[in-house]
Amino acid sequence: MAIQEDIHLYQRRRTLYGVIGVLFLLLLGRLYQLQLLYSEEYGKKSEENSIRTIPREPVRGYLYDRTGRLVVDNRPAFTVTIMPFEFDVRNTHRLADMLGMEEADLLDRLRQGEAYSRFQPVKVKRDVDFRTLSAVEENRQTLPGVDYQVESKRFYTTRAVASHILGYTKEVSGGQLRQLGEGYTQGDVVGSAGLEGRYERALRGIKGAELSLVDVRGQVVGSFEGGRNNVPSVEGNDLYLTMDFDLQALAESLFTGRRGALVALDPRDGGILALVSKPDYDLSIFSGVTPPEVWRGLNADPERPLFNRATLTRYPPGSTYKMILAVAALERGVVSPEWRVQCGGSFRMGNKVFKDLHVHGSVNMTEAIQRSCNVYFYNLMLKVGLDDWSRTGAEFGFGKPTGIDIAEENPGLLPSTAFMNRRYGEKGWTRGFLPSLGIGQGELGVSPIQMACYAAALANRGLSHQPHAVFAVRDKTGGGIDTVRYATRRIRLAERTWDVVREGMRRVVMEPGGTAGLARVRGIQAAGKTGTAQNPHGIKDHSWFIGFAPYENPRIAIAVMMENVGYGGSFAAPIAGMCFEQYLYGRVVRNDPSFDPASTPMRRLEQRIPPAQSRPAGSAHAPASAGRAP
Amino acid sequence: MIGYLKEYLDIRMLATVLGLLGCGLVCVYSATYDAGASDILRRQLLYAAAGTGVMLAALLLPPRFLTFISYPAYFASILLLVSVLLLGKTVSGSTSWFNLGAFRVQPSEFTKITTVMALAAFLSGRGTELGSFRNLAIASGIVLLPVALIMKQPDTGTAIIYLAMFIPLLYWGGAGRFTLLAIAAPCVAALTALVGITPFLIAVTVLGILIYLMKEHRIAAAAVFSFSVLIGISVQTVYNGLKPYQQKRIDTFLNPGADPLGAGYNVLQSKVAIGSGGLFGKGYLKGTQTQLNFIPEQWTDFIFCVPGEEFGFVGATLVLALFFLFLTRGVWLGSAVKTRYGSVLAIGLTSVIGAHVFINIGMAVGLLPVIGVPLPFMSYGGSALLTNMAAVGLLLNLYAHRKEH
Repeated sequence: MAIQEDIHLYQRRRTLYGVIGVLFLLLLGRLYQLQLLYSEEYGKKSEENSIRTIPREPVRGYLYDRTGRLVVDNRPAFTVTIMPFEFDVRNTHRLADMLGMEEADLLDRLRQGEAYSRFQPVKVKRDVDFRTLSAVEENRQTLPGVDYQVESKRFYTTRAVASHILGYTKEVSGGQLRQLGEGYTQGDVVGSAGLEGRYERALRGIKGAELSLVDVRGQVVGSFEGGRNNVPSVEGNDLYLTMDFDLQALAESLFTGRRGALVALDPRDGGILALVSKPDYDLSIFSGVTPPEVWRGLNADPERPLFNRATLTRYPPGSTYKMILAVAALERGVVSPEWRVQCGGSFRMGNKVFKDLHVHGSVNMTEAIQRSCNVYFYNLMLKVGLDDWSRTGAEFGFGKPTGIDIAEENPGLLPSTAFMNRRYGEKGWTRGFLPSLGIGQGELGVSPIQMACYAAALANRGLSHQPHAVFAVRDKTGGGIDTVRYATRRIRLAERTWDVVREGMRRVVMEPGGTAGLARVRGIQAAGKTGTAQNPHGIKDHSWFIGFAPYENPRIAIAVMMENVGYGGSFAAPIAGMCFEQYLYGRVVRNDPSFDPASTPMRRLEQRIPPAQSRPAGSAHAPASAGRAP
Repeated sequence: MIGYLKEYLDIRMLATVLGLLGCGLVCVYSATYDAGASDILRRQLLYAAAGTGVMLAALLLPPRFLTFISYPAYFASILLLVSVLLLGKTVSGSTSWFNLGAFRVQPSEFTKITTVMALAAFLSGRGTELGSFRNLAIASGIVLLPVALIMKQPDTGTAIIYLAMFIPLLYWGGAGRFTLLAIAAPCVAALTALVGITPFLIAVTVLGILIYLMKEHRIAAAAVFSFSVLIGISVQTVYNGLKPYQQKRIDTFLNPGADPLGAGYNVLQSKVAIGSGGLFGKGYLKGTQTQLNFIPEQWTDFIFCVPGEEFGFVGATLVLALFFLFLTRGVWLGSAVKTRYGSVLAIGLTSVIGAHVFINIGMAVGLLPVIGVPLPFMSYGGSALLTNMAAVGLLLNLYAHRKEH
């Protein structure tokens, strides 16, 4: 070959070397850019691709009664979830069919969840049955992004319903979500009433997270780094209640078919033994998924089953309130206990006549309480005056919340001169209002929980405790037990005053001529006061009874209110009596001729915290690894 | 003994090829590990063994036989391409396979070699200076005939490979810079015009400046320039006349990001795989993108993600380095072989493999649009591996006989 040709050849070779070199540098530069400059970003993207953070729901805390029996348990429930970024919207119709829900609902839930994060599973249907679960499991391949989680739902072990005190858990609403903030996401279950609501933070526990590797179809293929980075969920704290669920169940049964409320307290510490509000509702309908029509039905029910009559009502107390006036009179020295009134069956003031049920003749204070003489208290009220009476009521806790440890409470209404002036104007009302107030009628509103505290204060000779249902909380992380502290105060009255009103109350139950003979318990001295509150809406009067037992060293104080049935002595009093029997003897004994009070010791149902028991993990939660059916 | 061996066997080239083949098997194993495609590695091992046999056979062919067979082999492969269009099997919308028992054969792969051989034979003939328009036209015809048949299948990737290897070959064969420009300019104009008006105007401006700088004959310069502009302008009209699926194919080619669930998805996942590898990679069989199948059929066109993800920048650079050694050796061989036929053949075969390498890796790292071509020696696939090994055998053959006139 010619030399010329060789030179050309070498030139061309050099050019090709150059071209190859430049192209390789280009590729190398690109690799440098991807793998060294932006490797962190791509690393994150690859994690998003392949690592799923699946939240693990904590086991909600358990609730125990005063003897340490488990009353609110958990059961596993399966929740179908959708991972938004993997889900093919074209499958919406099929999945909605499978889950038996509206397509629009499903899309709605998906969109809400998606707005939060595309990489977090959205709970679309809670507590699905096994058939639905199997259908979902069978169709996983063709339904990318659809999965399920094991959650726990509440399970109630007692015969009692106790709906208003325990409260329910339900799926968090949009409004609650904004309010609760951190730690809650759409589809979470949140305590929404009663103790479940009030102790939500303690009961809830802390969510965990499980990191899983998923393939391109979103199928979990294993745990990420052997689960080393998983965050276990932290169990919620347990609550120990002051309640006696046998008493609760009995009290509920005594209200069958009635409207009303009952609160029983341990006067020694303010612990709630039973709290009934009727009509009530079955808590288990809330434990899984509540069909909207059931929820609407409960809300629209004219009997208002969701309404807690024990704490949210404002009834006139009727004659049960007479002790307030008696105390006010004695403490201000307006009259002596021996001051007498001649009862002719009615009381005239101006041209207005106030009635009594009976002609009681001459009665002193104790007898007036025993026989519930209205005329005596009409007269007494005019002597005491509105403001002293009102102050005494306030001292016993009326007109303000009791501080019970569930959220919902009505402060009630306790009128004073200032209030009446505000309400009617200074010239707008007269002393003519007073006689009615003196017998607990008219513009006076109390709730059964206030009345129970009032009964407890009378039982305790003034030592008054904040009512509460939770006495201890077990911290599941540390294992320690926190005893919850509640306020205590003393209503300071002369001993003589206590003696007089308490003796009157004892006679109400124990002596012939007392209005609450039906509250009597064999072998035990009990005390109380009936009330029959006129119902401004006609029909029948509300039946009240407050009381306590035993008379000395009382262990139970009670307030019973039954709407529209009639006399307190006929309806409320026997209920209280049976509750006394149940609580003090462990059963209702009044119809048992073989019952011998002499040989039956009184039961002492003290608060007890059972030793920490390791509940089998499976009872509430299938372990995460077993969450997937084979 | 070793000195004698080195004289007749290009140990450097053989070593790089065996290195790449090894890398390929390691990567295919990883890409198919636990992906329900365990059969693939076994097959690839079989192909590698067969490929080595083909390579040895090609190495042992007498040089005279090579020149003699060039044209007949070319026409035979053209016939095969025609018949595959008539009788072939359709795989992913493209008819480019023959079924031979359990194996499928892709004639367009083998045609790459026969086309290069035919070009080498033509360019080494007497009086075939590429300066003449007639010879240039014949050389172009040799390439465009199989390209036309392959485009009919359609297999855009392979067709582009032919064009990509043609330009260095022309350059090597003695074509002037202006000739190369005249061939490249209409293609560039057409492509940029499809992308948009601004890229087109920029391309035309650059083209004008280049043509002016080359100081060629005014009429020729004007002809090349106006032809390119004309092509660019008419491309839109042609595009509008295409069927929707053809338009979509072009759109995806030009802008893979517009189809994130199709071709664009692959590039995205491929970039994530390579980028997340970092400096040293995630470790063998530990690449989440690879192991969890985020890149569909990764063992074929996206095999480069495996070294990128599992061995990081270090691993990817090693693969690049092996290819660099191979390609520069091929170019060196082109200058070392004494016969013109051998010289052109060496450059042609090196260009074919080089075009695959740049297009494939360029696509995997997101520099080039998704064009379905395999990475030589590494991607799974029998036809491609056998073809590449045959090419290596021919190169080794040329080395052994490089001093013969």
